[in-house]
Amino acid sequence: MTLWDLTQGASAKVSRFKSSTQGSYRTRLSELGFHPGEQIACVLSPSMGAPKLYRVNNTVYSLDDSIASLIEVA
Amino acid sequence: MFQAQLSNLTKVALIGSPNSGKSLLFNRLTGLNQKVANFPGITVDIASGRSLEQKHIEYLDFPGVYSLRAISGEEQIAIQAFISALEDDLLDTVICVVDTTRLEKGLIFALQVLETCLQYNKPLVIAANMVDVLDQNGMKFDAEGLAQALDVAVVPLSAKSGAGLQQLGEALSAASAPSKKFESDIIASDESINHLHAQQLAEQFGPKGDVLIDTQTRLDSFFLHSWFGGLSFFFIMYLLFQSIFTWAAPAMDAVESSIQWLASAVLPLVPVGVASDFTSDALFGGIGAFLVFVPQIFVLTLVVGILEDSGYLARAAVICHKPLRVFGLTGKSFIPMLSGVACAIPGVYAARTVDSPRKRWLTYLAIPLMPCSARLPVYSLIIAAFIPAQKAMGGLIGWQGLAMFSIYLFGILCALLVTAVVSRSNAELRSDLPFVLEMPPYRLPSWRPLFRNAWNRSKHFVTKAGKVIFFVTVVIWVLGYFPNQGASLGESWLGSMGQWIEPIFEPIGLDWRYGVAILTSFLAREVFVGTLGTMFGIEGSEDFASLAQQIQDSGLPLGSGAALLVFFAIALQCVSTLAVLQRETKSWRLPIQLFISYSIFAYIAALSVFHVVEALT
Repeated sequence: MTLWDLTQGASAKVSRFKSSTQGSYRTRLSELGFHPGEQIACVLSPSMGAPKLYRVNNTVYSLDDSIASLIEVA
Repeated sequence: MFQAQLSNLTKVALIGSPNSGKSLLFNRLTGLNQKVANFPGITVDIASGRSLEQKHIEYLDFPGVYSLRAISGEEQIAIQAFISALEDDLLDTVICVVDTTRLEKGLIFALQVLETCLQYNKPLVIAANMVDVLDQNGMKFDAEGLAQALDVAVVPLSAKSGAGLQQLGEALSAASAPSKKFESDIIASDESINHLHAQQLAEQFGPKGDVLIDTQTRLDSFFLHSWFGGLSFFFIMYLLFQSIFTWAAPAMDAVESSIQWLASAVLPLVPVGVASDFTSDALFGGIGAFLVFVPQIFVLTLVVGILEDSGYLARAAVICHKPLRVFGLTGKSFIPMLSGVACAIPGVYAARTVDSPRKRWLTYLAIPLMPCSARLPVYSLIIAAFIPAQKAMGGLIGWQGLAMFSIYLFGILCALLVTAVVSRSNAELRSDLPFVLEMPPYRLPSWRPLFRNAWNRSKHFVTKAGKVIFFVTVVIWVLGYFPNQGASLGESWLGSMGQWIEPIFEPIGLDWRYGVAILTSFLAREVFVGTLGTMFGIEGSEDFASLAQQIQDSGLPLGSGAALLVFFAIALQCVSTLAVLQRETKSWRLPIQLFISYSIFAYIAALSVFHVVEALT
């Protein structure tokens, strides 16, 4: 399951990045808090496929499907 | 004395993540005494300003970055600028601004800065911003504990209220280079260990519990709701559009009448003849040509600033992201493009909010194709000349209105088509920074920095782009005035140029008079109407209906009218847009490329439309 599959209100821990993830994306996502072991909550899932809002610690980020589906959660 | 002052001069660098409140702190520290400069060889704007309190301190405001480990070319440039500053002996201290309401994230970055400061032996002070928000929520932050753990000064402050600034000043005077003994304890070369450290430090010393998130989530549920979100988006965009179209209009009229008043006061003092014509048409005309844009730039910068500071801009980007992604753009391209419907110039300035340089570049391609208000008089004239003022479907649809709507839609479609094609033609443009957008908390904007920014932007336009616009105005005036002292535009050098380029426009059924009008419309598209009026011998370009009648009577084919519409929809006939693009990209490359390619595109499209319409009629 990936972060994009997380429904509104649900949360899960980051397990790993998909192997196709570019090195630079891994670095930046980790620095922003999307780090293996980190608890992420999907706070809002707007309609019509718009980027979803995820909460990491005290920060909310918006990720689109192309990025959120690179992050595997469990 | 001066020497002594110089030798005392010290520089302090401000660095922090976007949304940490760094620029607000910089504004607090320096007031109005700011200037923007580039580091040699580096195309990143670094604002600098003298301290209000301690005149010997010069603050340098570096662009907000999420990390000192760059993942894109532009980030690398911004970080390189910071590193170059660290190599400067005059640089005394570094201030790293962190948002205490989101301490862990701030500390991940602060640890990277600490590592770099150790490397360059520069003192570091951590400005723990937004403690006012913590106070309001009854939360605590252990600055002393964090300072001891990191062995650097940590000053709790509020850039918004100004609390803690005095303590920051004291910390700056007392700061010394961080001791190396902590290096191995605190700093880890491995990012994951760095992350763990930040987490532990935030847990130990940071505020406990949620800050702002609940309110933020509630507001997000409204602003990103399928219905309410869509409605509020349209309402806010309508207000933005009104601000540049309607609210700026009285100020634009005031600028025009002030220039006219000044001209009427000065002109009697100038000898009649060339000097007087030059003063009236080139000098005041040239100044008016760019001053008239200032109110729009000021108002739009202010409104976009309010949207950005309040946190709404990020939400608007989320709403627009998916539809614009199809065309290679990002959600943040929407506001610059919408502004371009009023005028490309404030639109180009608004594109600064697009953080990804590649997406910003694509947005620059789209803006000049958006149907700006200067095209309106040209469209109105041609439509009045060719389309009957009749209505269909019981008066519901007017043919003229339909034609106007179609040409507006055509411009927007061209803009999207160009970005879709260009973004797909280049692998570099396809791959980009990941779409990870921080949703800043909703906040009330701080007014003074917003007004200051709008003022600075307007000043930047007048002093930088204004020169180019003025120069081109004077050149076109000279070409239109000589050799016959302004007696007849048709017999001037400009007239000869029009005749010279006639073969270019002949295939679309246009004679040399249209060529001259197209040449002069480079100053501003609406000049086309006035010039054509002069060429047809109509005094007073306001006499719209008789000019449309004249064009009709001259037997210009319908195909040529349609071709002119299409030509003006695409061609980048605007010196002011080109000058602003040059200022914003710091190179003539993009404006020249765009001018040439859009001229060719416009010509080919006009030629095709001419043949299709002529074949059908």
